[in-house]
Amino acid sequence: MKKLSTKIWILIVAYLGLTIAFMYVFADFLYEQLYVEDTKESMIEIGEKLQSMYRGGKVTDEYVESVENINTYSNFNVFAVRNPRELSACVPFEIDYNALIGPDERRILLKGEAVSKIGYEERFQRQVVSVIMPLTDQERLEGIIYIYYPLAKITELAKLEVLTFIGGAILFALILAIFVYKSLQRIMRPLNDLQFAVEQISEGDYGTRVKVVSKDEIGKLSEAFNNMAEAIQREDENQKTFLATVSHELRTPISYIKGYSEAIQNRYVEGKERDEAMNLILREASRMERLTNELLQLVRKESQNIELVPIVLSETIREAVKLLESIAREKNISIQLSLDENIIVQGDEEKLKQIFINVIENAIRYSNKDCNITVRSELSKSDAIIEIQDYGIGIPAEDLPHVTERFFRVNKARSRFDGGAGLGLSIVEKLVKQHNGSLSIESKVGEGTLVTITIPILEE
Amino acid sequence: MKKWIAVLFFSLIFVVQGCSKEPFQPINQHQSFVASVNILEPSIVYLDSKGEEIATWRFDKAYTGATLIPYDRILLYGHQLHEVDIYELSTGKKIKSIETGIGTTNAYYDKEAHRFFLSNSEKNTVTSFDDKGKKLGELSLVNYPLSMAGYQGKLYVVNYKAPVLSVIDMETMTLLEEWPIDKSSSGLLIVEETNSLWVGGHGTGSRPNQTVKVLDLESGKLTKEIQVSIMPVGFSKCGDEVYVTNHGSNELFACNVNGDVLWNVEVGANPFAVEHFNEKVVVAGFDDHKIYFIFEGEILNMIETDHGPFQLLVREV
Repeated sequence: MKKLSTKIWILIVAYLGLTIAFMYVFADFLYEQLYVEDTKESMIEIGEKLQSMYRGGKVTDEYVESVENINTYSNFNVFAVRNPRELSACVPFEIDYNALIGPDERRILLKGEAVSKIGYEERFQRQVVSVIMPLTDQERLEGIIYIYYPLAKITELAKLEVLTFIGGAILFALILAIFVYKSLQRIMRPLNDLQFAVEQISEGDYGTRVKVVSKDEIGKLSEAFNNMAEAIQREDENQKTFLATVSHELRTPISYIKGYSEAIQNRYVEGKERDEAMNLILREASRMERLTNELLQLVRKESQNIELVPIVLSETIREAVKLLESIAREKNISIQLSLDENIIVQGDEEKLKQIFINVIENAIRYSNKDCNITVRSELSKSDAIIEIQDYGIGIPAEDLPHVTERFFRVNKARSRFDGGAGLGLSIVEKLVKQHNGSLSIESKVGEGTLVTITIPILEE
Repeated sequence: MKKWIAVLFFSLIFVVQGCSKEPFQPINQHQSFVASVNILEPSIVYLDSKGEEIATWRFDKAYTGATLIPYDRILLYGHQLHEVDIYELSTGKKIKSIETGIGTTNAYYDKEAHRFFLSNSEKNTVTSFDDKGKKLGELSLVNYPLSMAGYQGKLYVVNYKAPVLSVIDMETMTLLEEWPIDKSSSGLLIVEETNSLWVGGHGTGSRPNQTVKVLDLESGKLTKEIQVSIMPVGFSKCGDEVYVTNHGSNELFACNVNGDVLWNVEVGANPFAVEHFNEKVVVAGFDDHKIYFIFEGEILNMIETDHGPFQLLVREV
C-alpha cells in the first residue's frame, strides 16, 4: 500500500515524462516539417533554376556539365541524368537494373512535376532527402536533374543539439522530481500529523491536539479534528463524572440499608428503635428505586423518539397538580392555576405530565411552608407558554446554568432529606426538547423561581 | 447519402454490364486497320488508313499484348493473367479462352505454319497451338522467352534474361540451336533478302544498347552491327526498307536491307512499336500516348490514343 504522497509524486513525474516525450516528438515533427521541408524547398528552387537553363531537345554535354558545376558552390549534390536506362524508359519491359527512378516516379516526372523523397537510397547507400526535377520536351522525358542531401548530415548537425536536449530534459526532470517530492512532503506533513493524532485518540489519549498551521483544507480539517477531540474528551469526562455520581448516589442508601439491617440482625436495636430502623431501610430502598427509575428514564429518553399527538394542555396540567396535591398539603402549600383552556399542544400525554410533575414537585420541595405556587398557561403566536412560579428558597445565580445537568444539586451537602438525586430537571429538559419546546429558569435567592416552558401548539 | 446511392447505382450498372458481357464494337471484315494495344489502361484503339478511329475496345482485364490470327480474330494475353482470350473482330465477342497460367510474355502467329506460339516467363517455355487453339507442343527454354520470329519452319526466340537466342523446329517443337546474343535483347526481324536475323535490345546495366545486331540466319554468326540511336527494340519491314524505333532517344531509323541508314526522324515519346500501314510508317509513343503516321521521313499526322500504346497491329485487306 503506497502512501498518498508517493502516488501523487508518481503521477506528477509520469505527467512530466509524458510532457517531455511529447515535446520530443513535437520537436522531431517540427524538425521534419521545418528543416527537411526547408531543405526540400531550397532544392526545388535550385532545380527550377537549372530547369530554366534547359532549352529543350536532347540534353547536351554542356548542360550536364553546367549542372554539375553547381556542386562547387552548393551544399547539395546535383547532377543531370539523360541515360534512358536510369530513367526506367524500358518499363513495361522487365528491367534487371536498379534504375535511379522507378516507373511511378517516371510517370509523375512525365507530367512535368517534381518528385521528392526522404529515405534510404540504394544508389548512394545512405539516407537522403532528394528532389528530382524533370527535363521534358514535347512530353518526352529527355532527362532529369537529381538533387540530394544526405539525411545523416542533417541529423549529425542536430545530434549535438539532440544530446544536449535529452541530457537537459533528464536533468530537468530529475531536479523537478526532487523538488516535487520535497514540496509534497511539506504539503503532506499536517496530514501525517493528523494521522498520528487520530491513532493517539484511538488509543485513548483524548488530550491529543494538532497544530493548525494553515487555513486551507488541511488547516480546516485540523481545526475540525481539534474540535472533535475536545468533544470526545468532554464527553469522556462527563461520562466519568456521571458514573462517579451514580455510584456515590447508590452507595449512600446501600450503606444505610446495610448498617441498619446488620444492627437489626445482631439485635442492637429493639422495639421502637427497630421500627424506626425498618422505616429508614424502607425509605432508602424507595430512594434507590426512584433513583434507578429516573436513571432508566433518562437513558430511555436519550434513545427514544416519541410520537406527538394533540393534547388539551390544561387537562394534563390539572392531572399533574392533582397527583402532587397530597405533598403540597403536607407543607400547606396552595397551587394556584390560571390556565387557558383552549390550548391544544402537540405532545405525548405521559411525558408532558412528567414534565409538569417534575417542575411542580421541585417548586413544592424548595418552597417554604404556607406558600403559594402559581401555574399559568397562555398562548403566544404558535407556542403555548407555561409558567410555574414559586416563592421558595431560589437558586444562586452561579448555579443557574447548571441546574439541568445530571446529578447537579444546588444543595451540595446532598442531603437525603431535601429531595431527589438531581435528575428531575435533566429529565425535564430532555422531554421538552423531544416536544420541540424550550425551557428557561429565572431565579433569585430567597425570592423564588420562575420556570418557563414553551411547547408548540397544534397548528390548524 | 445521395453520393452513396449514386455509387451503389453505378456499381450495380457496372456489375450488370459485367455480367451481360456486352460485345465490343464489331470491326468490318473488309476494313483495313492499324490498332494500338494500350496497356496502362488496357484497351485497343482501331484506326483506319486516314487515322480516323474505327473502334475502341476497353478491357477490365490487364492485357499486356495481342496478336492477329486469321481469319478475323485477335488473341489477347496478359503477363499476370491465367489465360489468353480470343475475340472475333467482326462480332466483338470473345470466342475462346485458353488456360495458360500466368507469365505469358508474347504471342506470335506464323502464317506459313498456321499455328501460334505463346512464350511464358514463369515456366520459361514456348508452347505451340494450331489455329483453332489446340495445344500442339511445348518446349522449355533458358530464361524469360520474349521476342519471337518465324521463317521456313524455324522459330527464333530471344531469351530476355539470358544471352541466348533459341532456334526451334516449329513442327516437332525441338531445340535446334542456341546462339549467343546480348542480354536484354528485344525485337527480332527476319530479312529474307540478306538471309539475316536482326536483333534489337535495351542494353545491360546502366549502358544502353545503340546497335542492331545482324546474325546469319543459318549459322547465327554476327555479320554486322548497325549503328542506330539508343535502345532499338521495334522493327518493321516494308519492301526494301526496314524501320527501327529507338525508344531511348525517341528516334525512328529507316535502313535498307543491307543495314545502311537511309533517314531518321525524332518521333513520339518513348516509342516501342513501329508498323507499316497503307504505305506509311506508323509509330506509337508510349509516354505521350500518340500514334504517328510518317511518310518518307516526315510526320504526316498524329492521333491521340489511350494510355500506354505498347504494340501496333496491322490488318490490310
